[in-house]
Amino acid sequence: MGRLLNTILIGVSGGSIYSLMALALVLVWRSTRVVNFAQAGQAILSTYIGYVVITHTDNYWIAFPVALVAGALAGALIDILMVRTLMKRAHSGPVAGIAPVIATLGLLGLIRAVVGMIWGGDLRQFKLPVSNHGFTFGHNTIPFAPINLLIVVTTVVVMLIFSLIFQRTNLGLSLRASAYQPEIARLAGIRVDLTRTIGWAFAGAAGAVAGMLVTPTNYLSPNSLDLLLVSGFVAAVIGGLESLVGAAVGGLILGISLALVLEYVSSSLAFPVAFVVLIAVLLFKPSGLIGAKRTRHA
Amino acid sequence: MRNLLGHSSRRFKAAITFPLIGVALFLISNRVDELRVYQGANVAVYVVAIISIILLTGYSGQISLGHGALMAVGAYAAVLSQVYWHLPVILTFVVAVLAAAGFGAILGTAAGRLTGPYLAGTTLALAVGLPSLANQFGFLGGEQGLNYDVGLPPAWLGADFTQYKWFFWISALAALIVTWISFNLLGSHYGRNWRALRSNPTAAALMGIHVGRSKVLAFTVSSGLAGLAGALLAMTISLVTPSAFPTSLSFSIVTGAVLAGVTLLTGSIVGAVVLVAIPEITGALAAHLGGSEKVTSNLPGLLTSVLLIVAVLLFPNGPQAIMKRTRKSSQ
Amino acid sequence: MFGQRRSKRNIFALATLAAGALAVTALPAQAFNVHTTDGVTPTTIKLGITIPLTGSAAPGYNKIPSAMIAYFNYVNDNGGVNGRKIQLVVKDDAYLPTLAVAKTNELILKDKVFAVIGALGTANHIAVSKSVNLGRRGVPDLFLNTGFSGFSDAKKYPSTFSLFPSYVMEAKIMGQYLKDKFPGKKLGLIYQADDFGTDALAGFKQAGTNFAVKVSYASGSQSAQTAAGWVSKLKTAGAEVVVMFGVTTASGAALATSAALGYKAQWILGSVGGDATTLKAVGVPAVVLTGAIGASFLPAPTDTSDPYVAFFQGINTKYNGGAVFDNNVLVGMNTAMMTVQALRAAGANPTQKGLIAAIESKGSTFASAGLAPLNYAKGVHVGYNGYWFGSYNSSGELKPIGGDYSVYTTDSGAGAIVKSTYVRPALPANGLPTN
Repeated sequence: MGRLLNTILIGVSGGSIYSLMALALVLVWRSTRVVNFAQAGQAILSTYIGYVVITHTDNYWIAFPVALVAGALAGALIDILMVRTLMKRAHSGPVAGIAPVIATLGLLGLIRAVVGMIWGGDLRQFKLPVSNHGFTFGHNTIPFAPINLLIVVTTVVVMLIFSLIFQRTNLGLSLRASAYQPEIARLAGIRVDLTRTIGWAFAGAAGAVAGMLVTPTNYLSPNSLDLLLVSGFVAAVIGGLESLVGAAVGGLILGISLALVLEYVSSSLAFPVAFVVLIAVLLFKPSGLIGAKRTRHA
Repeated sequence: MRNLLGHSSRRFKAAITFPLIGVALFLISNRVDELRVYQGANVAVYVVAIISIILLTGYSGQISLGHGALMAVGAYAAVLSQVYWHLPVILTFVVAVLAAAGFGAILGTAAGRLTGPYLAGTTLALAVGLPSLANQFGFLGGEQGLNYDVGLPPAWLGADFTQYKWFFWISALAALIVTWISFNLLGSHYGRNWRALRSNPTAAALMGIHVGRSKVLAFTVSSGLAGLAGALLAMTISLVTPSAFPTSLSFSIVTGAVLAGVTLLTGSIVGAVVLVAIPEITGALAAHLGGSEKVTSNLPGLLTSVLLIVAVLLFPNGPQAIMKRTRKSSQ
Repeated sequence: MFGQRRSKRNIFALATLAAGALAVTALPAQAFNVHTTDGVTPTTIKLGITIPLTGSAAPGYNKIPSAMIAYFNYVNDNGGVNGRKIQLVVKDDAYLPTLAVAKTNELILKDKVFAVIGALGTANHIAVSKSVNLGRRGVPDLFLNTGFSGFSDAKKYPSTFSLFPSYVMEAKIMGQYLKDKFPGKKLGLIYQADDFGTDALAGFKQAGTNFAVKVSYASGSQSAQTAAGWVSKLKTAGAEVVVMFGVTTASGAALATSAALGYKAQWILGSVGGDATTLKAVGVPAVVLTGAIGASFLPAPTDTSDPYVAFFQGINTKYNGGAVFDNNVLVGMNTAMMTVQALRAAGANPTQKGLIAAIESKGSTFASAGLAPLNYAKGVHVGYNGYWFGSYNSSGELKPIGGDYSVYTTDSGAGAIVKSTYVRPALPANGLPTN
């Protein structure tokens, strides 16, 4: 029982990070119908900026909002400089499905190269904002620490904030309208381009949060979030891509399945797990757990 | 009537053109140095891989970010049939095609209901997960891999006929055959079904096209070609190992397909040449420009990425669009 | 119909494009190459290396080429090798076998290097050896930065010289050490599920080590979360002594996580994952590392009382921009120093064949920072074959247990483990070989 509980806790702390990355991907998907592979790069860039602030101020809590704002700005900038053109030029035909993939992959490479030029390829680290020592009950230390709690709480808060924006504000309404029916939204007087830029900014900020939270327990390098991107994407797809709650649930499912497989099946099976989980979920629900009611064609 | 005429004359032209291209390639292979011959072999490998994406994405409208994994399936099938069954080389390529096609059929059936990003996510997860399985089973050789040896060139080709020239001949011939078959396939009713499917699945279904079956067929054919490309790739490095099939390989061939124009079979050569030439050109440029280690080591990546973004933004439909535009302006 | 007409035209476009593309790529080719010894001119010797400079395997390894160049530049400033300046052409292989082959082909067929040095990556280098066929081409393949035991097979890889002791040797020696120092303790092992780990398992089997618990991890999957899983397995099994036979990011994750989860054990770090500087960089608190045991065949990069280390640190300051001096920098400079001696040994008019013969006959006498002997001889391409054990002090320096380096040597097969009596040659005056 203790073993199972421990494994689930490990899964939850891993999964909540996937959820954050999934959240960022869902935000872009909802506003642009693009799977943003550059999200890992944007998050890395924001985290490096956070790292610089930390090395100067020695204060994580100053760096955190700076990274967040940097992430949002970078997201907005990318939309204005790249996505706008992309939407105009590759909006239809067979290429419309994959041109954004290639463009965002190219952007990922670009950001990585720039980060590498500025900070080099060395592994870096900054100190933990809160302890990573597991909570103890009597003589038992559980694999869940204040840092994990911080990640889970932040994920929930980020999710709630964005849900509120989407459900309760005019901005949210515009965001949803311009994603589903950009032409009609435009006719209704919504500034579709601006709305999309805001969507990218939100996603950039969410990615920055993911980067700033995952790095203290791992390390920072131009490639250190690559795997998180794939996990986040898989989590988002499990969740159905449309839904913020879906992203969070998808992340947890992936994290917990991974922990269970590593504990009970084989500790070296980390990589095939995502595929198996994804196939298992999508065979039953082809558009994810909390996907759209009808299948949409991307 | 015109269609019929056009069709047969097309066949006729193809019957002349392909052997001609073949002869031209072989003549060229005798005139250039060994590095270019080796790179030529790589170009041919990528042509096959890119065509597999073109058939899938450009014609049946499905997206795969996991073709690197299908290439791995083909490569492992080929090398296992050589190591354990001692099949002759030519048959190992056939085994590669069949195994990958079989795997693709299963995957295509399972993924048949998935569209767009769901399919992309599933295939990407496959690309991340599948090659690492080689470290789980001893007979797959682990990271050290299995030696895939197509043998020395036959003696009658002469003593100074290099190994790389032999690789080039094999892969160029394979690429020509694949291109020729694909031309015919796309001209057949299968090709028309796929095109109908791509532009409007609902209308295609109304026209009596079995949507699911057509999609699975496209996935199967595409996977078979990817399997062949995988075996050819393994040939050029003489080794089948999981790290030869990284996620970046899947991304590379999709990139190649976009640079090729996604719907343009002949564009595959452009995509393939770019994929092979870029690392060398950007590397040389970075070395030429110089600078600190941080800068020179990241400059090739920077240049490649910028080129990619610019190409996709300016010519999302590939060289076809440029040709069309110049044709229009010249009229 | 329109589409078909277009495809007709395109088929010719294909022909022209294909021919054109290949013709263009053929332009720089030299049609008639007067064959002299590749890479050697009266004033220069050109060498090449492919190594990951970008990608997830780059951190650490990316410091090796600039360290090599730093030492070569020092030698060049002091007259070079027989009047020839050494150039090192560096190519990024991103740790991918396909790129390693492509880039090595560029080095040999385009840059026409005299020899390649310091290659690494098991799959990468097997692919390079077989496809590029360095052996048949007779291109010297010197001083590999890897411990895969296969490369020291001189029959299979006739022009290849390994340098690092193999992972099998390391595990064998470590197994013996466990038997001697921790009899009756419950042992645990964390290893990488690939060739690296397979070699380790083979070595521990040779040494007859019995682990109460073995945890494998897929290369690249290491993180705080996966490490929590490892630690919970070790904890459940009650392992008192844990061998960490993985890469640095994995040992970093294991150490940090075990501390966070209140799991205390005697850690023994393999040489690959034991670089204190990198461990510190990935956030392992000094207090966690203190008291852990590590293995190495080089002196600790922080040991300034070692003449080689002190000398290389000086070179690092003057010629390498004062990079953080860790194991990678030490390895790079040491390899460069051995390369200079090999080139000198090859004589005033070096040939590739002559270089290989020179290492076979004189390689075992080369001055190097390594504390274990070099085993080069006719038909034997094994470099170092031994390890010493140390423990990390509170500032993260690996200090030999008992004060001085006691090195144990063995082979990659069933050979015995013996205490070495090898005394390495003194550092040449000013670090400039005179062999």
